[in-house]
Amino acid sequence: MAAFWWIVHKDLVSEFRSRRVWPAMLLLGIVVALVFSLQVELLAEQKQQIVGGLLWLSVFFAGAMVFDRSFAAERDEGCWDGLKLLPVSPGAVFLAKWTVNVLALAALESLLIPLFFVLSDLPLAAHAWQLALIAALASPGLAAVGTLVSGLATGGGKGGNGLVLVVLPLVIPVLLAAAECTRLAVAQQIDEAWWRWLQLLGVFAIVFITAGTLLFEYAIED
Amino acid sequence: MEIAAGETVALRGGNGAGKTTLLRCLAAITHPTRGEVWWFGQPAYGDPALRRHVGMVAHESRLYPHLTLRENLLFAGRMYGIDHPAQRADQLLADVGLAEHAERLPTHVSRGMAQRVAVARALVHEPPILLLDEPFAGLDAEGQAWLTHTLVTMREAGCAICFTTHDEAQVDQLADRTWELRCGRLYELATVLPYDRPRRRELAHAA
Repeated sequence: MAAFWWIVHKDLVSEFRSRRVWPAMLLLGIVVALVFSLQVELLAEQKQQIVGGLLWLSVFFAGAMVFDRSFAAERDEGCWDGLKLLPVSPGAVFLAKWTVNVLALAALESLLIPLFFVLSDLPLAAHAWQLALIAALASPGLAAVGTLVSGLATGGGKGGNGLVLVVLPLVIPVLLAAAECTRLAVAQQIDEAWWRWLQLLGVFAIVFITAGTLLFEYAIED
Repeated sequence: MEIAAGETVALRGGNGAGKTTLLRCLAAITHPTRGEVWWFGQPAYGDPALRRHVGMVAHESRLYPHLTLRENLLFAGRMYGIDHPAQRADQLLADVGLAEHAERLPTHVSRGMAQRVAVARALVHEPPILLLDEPFAGLDAEGQAWLTHTLVTMREAGCAICFTTHDEAQVDQLADRTWELRCGRLYELATVLPYDRPRRRELAHAA
């Protein structure tokens, strides 16, 4: 358990000092949000329909930077082998990296969600708790897949090339569920359908986190 | 192939012979295609907790570039679960003569200084098995003297050591036995008489 927290601490300290990933991630998210919102002129009703999909696509593409870089520091100077030498289970390493990625996505979403709603001229405060709940359930699933695939790429000695192409098909269920939940929330349709999509997000999160924890050892095996 | 406690084995071979790969297998970082690695009678690829038995120095420094030298040792100490990791980190930095550089980043020190810290990192938990891949590379005379003294001390304390080198003097000074990798085969070298040609006894070969 202590090892988990020390890896999280180490990664957060490294990112805070290097500022390699999070600023670029936030900037990419903002740019994507601006391009989507300013280039697409829609009526208010149409914006309500698509804001969920655009938001979660933006989160995914910006978040993919974080997933790729979550093991980048380990690829430097042979640190990956150094990590494999430590008496810590692969599952603990996965969960630590996943935790850092979840925190990164939370920071991204705390910026992108208000930005999207402002640019779409939609009331954010009216949907705040629904959006927070959607983000709280979607981010773990996204981060779990991204962390697992990034670890697989690192274990194979490759960088992040094509990471997005591999991760995207795997997270389509999460993105679809999050987008649909967001659309229904914006349309103020907090009904049985909304709760079902939300449960689906929760199930995806549990499945992907469990799979990542169990499979990580084989993903990094050399 | 066995390395007993308190024994030092030098691993030699030409470039590309597989010395690093063999060390990685012995450290359980890489899975061999055939054969097994055992530490103190237990399979090396089992419980991650067994990795407390092993320290390794590699070609790369394995130091996190955005943690200071002290923080790198502190992280290793905490991950190995040693008592008082901060004091241990400070002690090791003093031992390698880098106490005054403790708060510098690995990218801000020389290759030799980073190598010293890499060695210190491998020793932070006082492992009973020590694997070193050309550990003297990049060290100045003072650093080499310190490392030689450290390896002798660890051997006398019962540590099993295997190191790779191209330097005959280091082999003569430190090694109890010598292995040589040649064409995918591992030989143990034995010189029967002075000035005789070394005799090779094959230990193993890889397909």
